[in-house]
Amino acid sequence: MNVPTHRANHRGRTAAALLLTAALGLGPGAARADEPIKIGVIGEESSVAGASITKAAALAAEDINAHGGVNGRKVEVITYDDHSSAADGVRAFQRAVHQDKVAAVVASYISEVALAIEPWSARLHVPYITPGASSNDISKHVHDDYDHYKYAFHGWLTSAFIAQSICDFSHDLLVGQFHMKTAAVMSEDAAWTTPLDAQYLSCLPKAGLQVLDHIRFNPDTTDFTPIFNQIESKHPDVIITGISHVGVQPTVQWHDQQVPIPMAGQSSQATTSTFWKDTNGATEGVLTATAAAPGVALTPSTEPFTELYTKRYGVSPAYDGYSTYDMIHILAEAIQRAGSTDPDKMVTALEQTDHVGTVGRVQFYGRDSEYTHALKYGPGLVTGVVIQWQNGKQICVWPTAKANGKITFPTFVRLPKQASAQ
Amino acid sequence: MKALQILIDGFAISALYGLGAVGFTLIFGVSGVLNLAHGGLMVVAALTGWLAAGELGLGTVLGTLVGILAGLVAAYATYAIVVRPIQRSRAIRPEEMEIFVLTGTLLWGIMIQVGMGYLFSDNPVTMRPLLPGVLTLGGVRTPVNEIMIAALCWISLGLMWLLVNRTRAGKALLAASMNPRGLTLLGYELSHIYLLVWTIYGLLAGTAGVLLASFLGVSTANAGQLTASAFSIVILGGLGSVSGSLIAAYVVGYLETATAYLIAPTLRPIPALILLVLVIYVRPQGLLGRR
Amino acid sequence: MVRLTRSPLLWVSLLVVLAAALLPLWVSAYLLGVLTAAYYFGVFAMAWDLLFGFAGEVNFGPTFLIGVGAYTAAILNGQQGVPLPLCVIAGAGAALLGGMLLAVPALRLRGPYFGLVTLVAVLLLQNAIVIFAHVTGGEIGMTVPDVLSIDASTNYWIALGFLVVCAILLFGLSRSSVGLILQASGQDAIEAEALGFNVTKHKIAAFCISAVFSGTAGAMLIFYMGTASVDTVIDIAIGVQVIIAAVLGGRRTILGAVLGAVFLILATEFLRPLGQLNTFVVSAVALAVILFFPDGLLGYALHRGERE
Repeated sequence: MNVPTHRANHRGRTAAALLLTAALGLGPGAARADEPIKIGVIGEESSVAGASITKAAALAAEDINAHGGVNGRKVEVITYDDHSSAADGVRAFQRAVHQDKVAAVVASYISEVALAIEPWSARLHVPYITPGASSNDISKHVHDDYDHYKYAFHGWLTSAFIAQSICDFSHDLLVGQFHMKTAAVMSEDAAWTTPLDAQYLSCLPKAGLQVLDHIRFNPDTTDFTPIFNQIESKHPDVIITGISHVGVQPTVQWHDQQVPIPMAGQSSQATTSTFWKDTNGATEGVLTATAAAPGVALTPSTEPFTELYTKRYGVSPAYDGYSTYDMIHILAEAIQRAGSTDPDKMVTALEQTDHVGTVGRVQFYGRDSEYTHALKYGPGLVTGVVIQWQNGKQICVWPTAKANGKITFPTFVRLPKQASAQ
Repeated sequence: MKALQILIDGFAISALYGLGAVGFTLIFGVSGVLNLAHGGLMVVAALTGWLAAGELGLGTVLGTLVGILAGLVAAYATYAIVVRPIQRSRAIRPEEMEIFVLTGTLLWGIMIQVGMGYLFSDNPVTMRPLLPGVLTLGGVRTPVNEIMIAALCWISLGLMWLLVNRTRAGKALLAASMNPRGLTLLGYELSHIYLLVWTIYGLLAGTAGVLLASFLGVSTANAGQLTASAFSIVILGGLGSVSGSLIAAYVVGYLETATAYLIAPTLRPIPALILLVLVIYVRPQGLLGRR
Repeated sequence: MVRLTRSPLLWVSLLVVLAAALLPLWVSAYLLGVLTAAYYFGVFAMAWDLLFGFAGEVNFGPTFLIGVGAYTAAILNGQQGVPLPLCVIAGAGAALLGGMLLAVPALRLRGPYFGLVTLVAVLLLQNAIVIFAHVTGGEIGMTVPDVLSIDASTNYWIALGFLVVCAILLFGLSRSSVGLILQASGQDAIEAEALGFNVTKHKIAAFCISAVFSGTAGAMLIFYMGTASVDTVIDIAIGVQVIIAAVLGGRRTILGAVLGAVFLILATEFLRPLGQLNTFVVSAVALAVILFFPDGLLGYALHRGERE
């Protein structure tokens, strides 16, 4: 449980500050060729998913520098902790830009923090990528006001596409294999779940699951008994979740109360490797969408990254660890293409991204899409995977082409009678 | 069916609320301290219990005991490091004592929360159920653990009642809450009394923390909420009144549970808050409060 | 205590303000940002000190008043597009209303109850924000379209100017006859009543003044940061910081509160390399100050001067 807090580059930061002062002192004409390219990375060190961001960023920088850096210059990652607070996130962003003079910022997996930072990236003209937040609004702002917001990029699937991936999974496996017919949607009341739920309600029926109930609960909820009770009274075949702020408690209570309905959907905490221990194994049988998992070879770079990260930090990466690793590489490549760290040139270069990373083939939607600057979703691009916890391991069950196991449910779960034992 | 579910679920959560609130009100009643680090103490107990049970491999029962002990140690630390030095400080005027103690315990609570967060991250932890499995009573499926927890809460409260009402030390405690000076005239050492009350408080808070971890799960992020909930209940019941706190705990527990089941889970905290506002405006000393 | 020599204080203050005004010439934009936030905090702390130091009332939820002011301004600007200056005024007005609503019943209570009631008020506001999330942005907050300025120096001067004006007003009040009555009511209400002063009316007035300053500063802070959230203006932790700042700086000095606020925020900043533990260290230091120097920094300095 003691996840060492990753404090990267403190000496590097002091050196950078000294270098900067010297550069300022020498005047604007000072040569910049030897200076490292600085990227600010803001994570949430006290949360497992948030801490994954800064850890993965450090690995990415090492990897880039080992391969010659960017146009001969090294990449330096400067990390900040926003304490899961939007205000601290904004302050960290301002510090990164004004004090540490970063070329770009990669920040946060919390939609609210990302949304608070986004206007500042617009005001200060600094390229900004969020590797883990999912609110549709992040890309919607870019679409609605491109000239101001073009510096923002959404480095993970938007809520709409996360929901779509779960609908696709439901269609293929829950309906296709288990012949489920009905579902209840259960999600926390947060910025990222509003579009998620809207998409669920629209795509689940198309996938073959009629939605019987839709519950949005306060993210501060600690007692889920009434909620499970309400869901159970409607007798759905599956609970489709949208949870990130909570995870341990609903899962443990689901298990302890032996709620006879399986849980699938997006449970961000369940994507972390410590979740098994945190829930004392209660997460057995829980299905969740994530970027990748140990033992899953989404692309040639996925497993090597998983192994490197696990060896270095003792835990496997959370979903945003994969995306952060890719985003730092993408930023480096964009700067290489643009030949400079000028913000507008970087934006143009970023829009041309076509990068095979650990999460899949990364491209961004353009101005013609309503999800401008969001990650493109689809087979052959990025779809995420769905894993199920089995005996302490995350087993990939979808997409079926990449699966390394089959779905099995705990004994207290009741399945529709016509489930075929494929 | 639903009524029975509400009855059972409400009972367990109220018992847990009660255990926490009783400790809080006891420490105020006897030593005049509003301990705003209350939630922090519960969190220490819960996290230490989890660590002992899982990581250190001691198993659930031993882990629970270790957790309770940790709560006790934390309570002692609160008394020794924060409360007693402030109460004895000559530089502070007597009429300002309370605000200094309050601020001091608030700061101490923050230190505990941040310190624990650093060591454990803010992920919630749960204790494995003491007795796994479910029981179906009258069509209502309840985890056995939940019933055990309610039982344990009441056993703890019962033990405390016995201690306070049947033993000499306990009666001295009661007397101290009414008239400290009178008690010293009778030859009792007030410092021993205070030590006793902090011991009882530590055990109660520790037990409440560990049981909460077992029932619902606890994280460092809960510390503030736990303190707030404890003193809301205590205000309702009346500061310093143990029976008042228990009654108030059940009122709040059932109000919340009934709301969650019958109206909507999202509106769960509302009725209790409205009640709190009414009480403050109409009868600020609470149901059974004195002082 | 009132005999405290005024002229040296005046000259020292003038020098300090001058130095502060010239800081943007040498100091980085980020540090200016930190100081800007510290100045608004200074106003929060001064407003709190007026209430506690002078009216003797411990307000454990200064963030109730700050939050009401801040969110009113934010909602008007974000949802209705009302221009910035009007939002600030509206925020002040709302805080005033909130202050009166809270003060009237709360001042009837004695001892710990008053403090608890103020704390409960914060909880209620927090819950209200979460419940009406579609208007307020809920727990996570809302962004406001208008900001005071994007330039760090401009923001800094606005904050400094605001701080100086509030300091003059509040300090002047504390030295005026109203301030003396308040002090008397705070230290010995019965005597004050016996002397013919309507203590309750004066305390309510103190509450309202505190509310107006807190609410205005809260609104300004929102328009500086561009976001309003429970974390930044309502959370109990913020209230604690306000109290610590005032106590650290020295109760009943008004100006000490500014010192305390600046010290607190700068300390948190410079301890940033410690990561999460910076809050721990700052709280520990504040606890130590409370234990060993309960009169606070300025209070200690002033009283030493008196004893000589």
